[in-house]
Amino acid sequence: MDRMKKAGLLTRLIEELRNNGSWCGETHVQKATFFAQELTKIPLDFDFILYKHGPFSFDLRDELTALRADGLLKLEMQWPYGPRISPTQQSEYIKSLYPMTLKKYETAVAFVTNRLSNKGVSELERLATAFYVNLREDKTSVDERATRLTELKPHILQEEAKGAILAIDKIAEEAETKFSLLTEFDD
Amino acid sequence: MKYTHEIRDPIHVFIRLDSDERKVLDSRPFQRLRHIHQLAMTYLIYPGATHKRFEHSLGVMELAGRVFDVVTDPDNVTDEIKHLLEPLNAPDNRAYWRRVIRIAALCHDIGHLPFSHAAEKELLPDDWDHEKLTREIIVSDEMKTIWDSVTPPLRPEDIEKLAIGPKKATDIKFTDWETVLTEIIVGDAFGVDRMDYLLRDSHHVGVAYGKFDHHRLIDSLRILPPAQSGEKGESQEPALGVEEGGIQSAEALMLARYFMYSQVYFHPVRRIYNIHLTDFLKEWLDSGAFATDLESHLKMTDSEVTAALWEAAFEEKIGSTHARRIVLREHFKCLYRRNPEDVSINPESGELVFKALADQYGEEHFRHDRYRQKSGAPDFPVRMRDGRIVSSITFSEVLSNIPVVSVDYVFANRQFFDEANTWLNNNRRTIINKPEEEGQDG
Repeated sequence: MDRMKKAGLLTRLIEELRNNGSWCGETHVQKATFFAQELTKIPLDFDFILYKHGPFSFDLRDELTALRADGLLKLEMQWPYGPRISPTQQSEYIKSLYPMTLKKYETAVAFVTNRLSNKGVSELERLATAFYVNLREDKTSVDERATRLTELKPHILQEEAKGAILAIDKIAEEAETKFSLLTEFDD
Repeated sequence: MKYTHEIRDPIHVFIRLDSDERKVLDSRPFQRLRHIHQLAMTYLIYPGATHKRFEHSLGVMELAGRVFDVVTDPDNVTDEIKHLLEPLNAPDNRAYWRRVIRIAALCHDIGHLPFSHAAEKELLPDDWDHEKLTREIIVSDEMKTIWDSVTPPLRPEDIEKLAIGPKKATDIKFTDWETVLTEIIVGDAFGVDRMDYLLRDSHHVGVAYGKFDHHRLIDSLRILPPAQSGEKGESQEPALGVEEGGIQSAEALMLARYFMYSQVYFHPVRRIYNIHLTDFLKEWLDSGAFATDLESHLKMTDSEVTAALWEAAFEEKIGSTHARRIVLREHFKCLYRRNPEDVSINPESGELVFKALADQYGEEHFRHDRYRQKSGAPDFPVRMRDGRIVSSITFSEVLSNIPVVSVDYVFANRQFFDEANTWLNNNRRTIINKPEEEGQDG
């Protein structure tokens, strides 16, 4: 996907997160993009590793910075919390150039933002890391995966980890029904 | 037997290392750094910029030790994070990790190619970069002999982790403790790699932009829990942050970075010399790329390349055209650079200009250089005097307003410069147009 088209999709994702009540700091955008890419298969092509608060992409961080340089995103301050990311007026122009792409991924963006916008950093960390475990670890039972999650993030309690695994299994099942056909069709 | 060795340094006055660390200094991979310019061919624009990766690496080691001592000082570690940083609780462990972080800092650039970053991207195979070469050297038999001889012996994988960090060592898992230690060396906010290169580069280049009060800054660094988010059940991951009293020094560091990038590192003539060097190396190197086997890598320095450039500039040899552009200073001139008006129409305006000029006059007469700043204003925790932990960007108006550097240059062969400039001015409105949606997946 070319850079400006990706910019249109990222700014739309951020706009929808905010419209649905997300604080929309960098962590919220990182985790929402991770789910949009890995769960609903929007081909954003960012590399995610396990880092700050779970899956994290340095490429995405760089791109968010570049979009600020291009005048498409800005930071909003609200004492005493971290900055919020906000699309600018100029981002409307970029989005207007890609109506077909935005339409195509409208359902996927809505799926992610509807499920994540009301989550805080710690819950997003648990859910995203749980999904990361599902994707990359060859573990089957809920307990096994929860234990693995706590190994990766020792400050997460076993019960919290188990809850996150159960929650992500449910979300992943919904996504599977909704987006697997779309992926097959695209390929 | 002398156990502590002192080295004079223009930035840190004395750099002290012990006999075990001296073994690394004396190793073949480290001595090679005496022949790798820190700032590639920047000396062609700023004649003083002839310093090498060797002294920068020593400086990074010195600063890494100082930061480690401050942030792990029991008086500076609060109970709220102590339990998350297990190795801090045993003195032997603390001594081990102090050794590892200094050695990792010393080795963090050991895999650099000739002329540092200048030609790295295009002249290594796809999955290679200087960090991967650094890792290969750290775990090599040659270096393992040194790690085994140190008391206590060092685990090469620990050195590898801290020297590279999670951004480039994506196949390795980092604990919270290791993550914080990598932040000390290569972190975006307070990495001592950046602290040293800003101070050292500005000193040698002869500009004041890169200077900041690093003594005050280092003294106020702390390992802190994350800033309060106002959300239920906040995350607990610790990070490198700063006491309120050090915020002005942190602002000065970030401003130094902004000015050095915009004034020195992205100087258009520096950028075009890098491009001409890459063009030369593509022709001069066997198979058009640097070798990645360690023996070949360790034999290749700036000296071999400089000798070849000099020869090719005055005799008809492979790469002569590009060598002359460098040696005889016949570099391409900057014809186009991005501006707010063009960016508002198309953020990739440079690419449009380059393609239009290439179509009109031939691609060989133009070069396009696009670079976007990595990361942004770092959001790190600040501990206020009343004990609250807040976000640096919210706390500091300076940090929240530092511009992002983004470069988009098109360079032209001097032979075509005036004509191309006139043509571009006459056709600018039709060349720089809005992006079009071609297919839904791009």
